[in-house]
Amino acid sequence: MRSYIRVLISNYTVRQMARIVWTVGWSDFFLKYRGSVLGYLWSLLAPLAKFLVIYYVFRPFVSDAIPYYSLYLFLGIIVWEHFTVTTTHCMSVLHEKAAFVQKLPFPRILLIFIVGWTNLIIFLTHLIIFAVFVVVTGKGFPVQWVFVPLILFHMTILALGVGMILSAYCLKYRDIPHLWSIATQVLFWLTPITYAYRLEVPLLATIRRMPEMIRGPALHNLFDVFVQFQPLSLVMYDLRRITLYPKELGTPSLEHLLGMTVVFLAIFCIGAVIFKKRSRHFVQEY
Amino acid sequence: MTDAVLSCRNITKSFHRTLIPVRHLQERIIVGRRKKTQWSVNAVDDVSLRLAPGEWIGLSGPNGCGKTTLLRVLAGLLVPDLGSVERNATFSCFFELGVGFHEEHTAAENVRMHAMLWGVDFAAMRSMADAVRAFAGIGDHWNLPLKCYSTGMRHRLGFAVSTAVPGDVLLLDEIFAVGDAAFQVQCWERLFALKRLGHSAVMVSHRTGDLERICDRVFSMNGGKIVQEKTIAPITA
Repeated sequence: MRSYIRVLISNYTVRQMARIVWTVGWSDFFLKYRGSVLGYLWSLLAPLAKFLVIYYVFRPFVSDAIPYYSLYLFLGIIVWEHFTVTTTHCMSVLHEKAAFVQKLPFPRILLIFIVGWTNLIIFLTHLIIFAVFVVVTGKGFPVQWVFVPLILFHMTILALGVGMILSAYCLKYRDIPHLWSIATQVLFWLTPITYAYRLEVPLLATIRRMPEMIRGPALHNLFDVFVQFQPLSLVMYDLRRITLYPKELGTPSLEHLLGMTVVFLAIFCIGAVIFKKRSRHFVQEY
Repeated sequence: MTDAVLSCRNITKSFHRTLIPVRHLQERIIVGRRKKTQWSVNAVDDVSLRLAPGEWIGLSGPNGCGKTTLLRVLAGLLVPDLGSVERNATFSCFFELGVGFHEEHTAAENVRMHAMLWGVDFAAMRSMADAVRAFAGIGDHWNLPLKCYSTGMRHRLGFAVSTAVPGDVLLLDEIFAVGDAAFQVQCWERLFALKRLGHSAVMVSHRTGDLERICDRVFSMNGGKIVQEKTIAPITA
């Protein structure tokens, strides 16, 4: 009976799948920079260069309005880098591991989980650097840091959910990676990475105000609503308020965290269903 | 009648391709509208098979006759347009020796990775690695990255790994062309040993003689159809 169940789930148990994701994820992390002179430092240089330029340009305008602007900006940039690298990697992995997809009958969704794990490892190293900056600036670690793992979970399943939707169609429609590279450039400025963002009232109350906010036909009203409610803004808001502004903005309520978990899980599940349905046709779309 | 470990009924699979798959916008403006040309082929046409426990079936035929497509449908890699596949056993399929091998990994690391992808238990991995090392005969290269291997050594390692984690049913695509004459003898011995152990297999090759050497039945395919079935008294090693 047990072996029959194994056949039904493509010969893999959950434990075996977890081991594949863990091992291949670590292996990909080490192989990614093998042979390059700077190695892992390459993963740090891109966000660091972006941080230095933006900090130099924006600091005179926003540093008064945003306390600890350097930390605010650095955290925003590493979350953003994680999101874009993960979603783009979800598409490119189908080409990088084409031999796996074409020749091995294993659950294709494992490739997405491997991408998620590899990029989470990189993000965690960035978060450690952020923690060092926190210590250097004398900010300290409030008790609200215990919520960090939950927000990282939100961040990861959001990136994987969007990544799965993109990768499900990127073999059939070869324009998608190009479109996504433009979309991310637009999205960068529609995400509160460099400028101030806060929810004046709790999120649910703000959602109730949404019809009133979009009543005006002006484009900037629509942009305001988008910036306020897009999932990445909410992830950044939550991560910043528990690490940088717990006194000013308060601890996230249970309803808020539960609501966010449900929303991100829904995005992930939609992505997983679409990916699973489309992945049956990947072999003939190369 | 014994339950089949693998059976398929009325499998039909066709491929459709647009010959100019992408018309760039700039090309469309310069050249103007041109009619898209479609190409399609019926790779497998209404094929039914039944594999009994312990039975070895061969599929032969010229290039493009649909034998690899049929094997991919049986493995679950391709979805048939029509028909159904029923699998009642664990599977191992080998469409290319050394799939998933990484140039920067040593043989030991590649074997471990391969074993994991095939769902081998952690406890069985070490014994599997020892068996692969003994069979492949690559000596001191075992702890070197794959990029230091000759093509022949890669094939030897690939075959050793491929047949070290057999499921109840093996799906093998062109697995014979491996290594020198001495290693080919070793490969045949390994395949006969698997057969004696009770594994079933569907083998694909354009070398009918090789298939007739080990298979109980050999099907000839042409134009996506099975055109001939030959029952053979298998030669034991």
